[in-house]
Amino acid sequence: VMKNSIPIALLCTLMGLAGCDDGSTTQELIAQGRVAPKPAFRPIDSERAVFWDRQTTETAALLSEITREFNASAPPLPIKIETTGNYGEIYQKTMGSIQAGQLPAMAVSYESMTAQYAESGAVLPLDEHINNPAGGLPEGDLDDFYPAVLESNRYAAFDGSMLSFPFAKSVLVLYANHRVLREAGIDAAPKTWDEFVTQCRTIKARTGKHAYAISVDCSTISAMIFSMGGEILKDGVLQYDQPAAVKAFQILETLVTEDLAYQIPARTFDDETAFASDRIAFTLRTSAGSANMAAAMGGKNGDWSINPIPQVDPAQPATILFGPNVTLFRVGPEQEAAAWAFTKYFTSRDVMIKWCLATGYVPYRKSVAQDKDMQAYWKAWPSNRVPYDALAYARTEPNFSGWQRVRKSVELAETAVLTRLKDARTAAQELQQEAQPFLATSAVAQ
Amino acid sequence: VKRAVAYLVLGAGAAVMAYPFIWMATTAFKTLPEAMAPSLALLPARWQWGNIALTFQAAPFGRYFFNSLLISSVSGLAVVVTSLLAGYAFARIRFGGRQIIFGLLLATMMVPFEVTFIPNFVTITRLGWYNTYAALIIPWCANAFGIFLVRQAFLSVPEDLYEAAAMDGCGHFRFLRHIGVGLVKPTLATLFLFAFLGSYNALLWPLVVTGDTSMRVVQVGLAAFVLDSGVRLNLLMCASTIVIMPSIVLYLFTQRYFQESALSAGLKG
Repeated sequence: VMKNSIPIALLCTLMGLAGCDDGSTTQELIAQGRVAPKPAFRPIDSERAVFWDRQTTETAALLSEITREFNASAPPLPIKIETTGNYGEIYQKTMGSIQAGQLPAMAVSYESMTAQYAESGAVLPLDEHINNPAGGLPEGDLDDFYPAVLESNRYAAFDGSMLSFPFAKSVLVLYANHRVLREAGIDAAPKTWDEFVTQCRTIKARTGKHAYAISVDCSTISAMIFSMGGEILKDGVLQYDQPAAVKAFQILETLVTEDLAYQIPARTFDDETAFASDRIAFTLRTSAGSANMAAAMGGKNGDWSINPIPQVDPAQPATILFGPNVTLFRVGPEQEAAAWAFTKYFTSRDVMIKWCLATGYVPYRKSVAQDKDMQAYWKAWPSNRVPYDALAYARTEPNFSGWQRVRKSVELAETAVLTRLKDARTAAQELQQEAQPFLATSAVAQ
Repeated sequence: VKRAVAYLVLGAGAAVMAYPFIWMATTAFKTLPEAMAPSLALLPARWQWGNIALTFQAAPFGRYFFNSLLISSVSGLAVVVTSLLAGYAFARIRFGGRQIIFGLLLATMMVPFEVTFIPNFVTITRLGWYNTYAALIIPWCANAFGIFLVRQAFLSVPEDLYEAAAMDGCGHFRFLRHIGVGLVKPTLATLFLFAFLGSYNALLWPLVVTGDTSMRVVQVGLAAFVLDSGVRLNLLMCASTIVIMPSIVLYLFTQRYFQESALSAGLKG
């Protein structure tokens, strides 16, 4: 193999030198107009703009319907949806595709995934498309979006460029089972963390049941920290050893020490099962799960509710923003134009209302509040409005590429507290020491 | 009395083993709230026959079945052929570096799938095999485990048999065709079963190297019921019940060989 490789390598080197005989780089040649700029990556399908998505069942059917409507409007290229598994699988496939130099036009992604893709130069910055008078957003249209959903798509590590665009959004909420609450003599879901712990104690004492099933999740910890008035990252320093984070871990410690809550296995929805079968009173989950929860509760709206997560000060609430964005890739002008046109279409007011009414995702344009269908949906059951109202105070997690590693450390620290391997303060302090170096390996400019 | 006790113990063991399967099959016909209830009751309060239609509406299982059976059968047969040839060669043919090559081959079993995943995907894409049956079948047509298994089976065949065949003028291929295959038939059947099931149960690779629904397999269909925010447990159980049918049928057909192979694994030739 080596014998064959050496002449091939030499040949390639000579060919490379012949192509740049005046010493110019390809970038310089493009700038001089001597070489046509080519897309850095080949499209996976030259006839259609492929969109790697995660939706399944009814939501996938609705997305297909929206796509058909879009394709009927004669876009630069038709959009083709490819369901590509969960986010982890989409990430693996995209990273492999970047290596192979062949990408779809767009894919759903979380912020840390986009940041990782952007490091390879595969991601299409969207500011130019947004501000393009020909096909961009109308002037002032971005103001109609809730700031939090846009904020997380601007990447400080990439000069504040908008490298992704909001897609299907939701927030962390508290689901309360009122059958269990009534059994314990409780009228309403808790508004503060102190009330939450007190209600958990009451439920345990009066019903013998666990009050809460804990799904280990970094985003939930982030939401708890925000709801306690804390920060995750400040001036380039993680804040896990600060009082708000310590307090968040201490609440979990109290819940497991007093046997008020239990940890469910990772990557399961056992809390949802326990909730629907009246074995627990509370679960903290994404509002996108409300449709599934409604089905699990047999459609009996009086027996459960969706609530803002508990706060330290309900007058200054906070929660975490969930849900994927969409990342567009540099796969040629026609593909990019089609992908952007679809993004613009999907996030337009009327399509957003149609999507959110059917799926349980949160509409993230302010103007939807005036829509009659939306108002009727909220009026039908007050819980329906809670996620939308929470958008006004929803916060986002950092979006640097090393965030995924921090997330893993946070979840290990949470597990250590829940399994009583460490006390809350030690876990928080050790987490700070372990996670802070991950920032050094990433370009963080927050 | 002894026999009755033995049957009682065996019956209890069988019931424990069978219970999850029966639960899966009956949960397929429950409502979602009933499926999520902690009750151990097997039978639904009211049979939801419509769940079958809902399952097939959620994903095109007919096409998925066709693809899965085609891919698993072809790659299962290919593994048997490649393992037979390579296993025989490693067991019976003396050539330079045989032990080193075999050692290297075995070493590939220690490399986890996650490590080779991206290089394999890049190779497939550069070959232009993305979204083709070639991508789903060819990478799985040979494996070190199969070669190892067949080599061990041939090593257990008495030396005299080879010598007698050679004296009758049998070359390697003729020996393999007329005598060898018959001698290691249980091993080959077991190998086919493993390769078939491995391919049939694969999720990540088929998901990654295909894009069109027409190229997808049954395991991808199952994933449709695991949402971002919950599981459609009743429909998932319905789909799972349908999806495991071919595996059960195949096991019933190869059960005898599988047991023979397991029993002979500890015997010396």
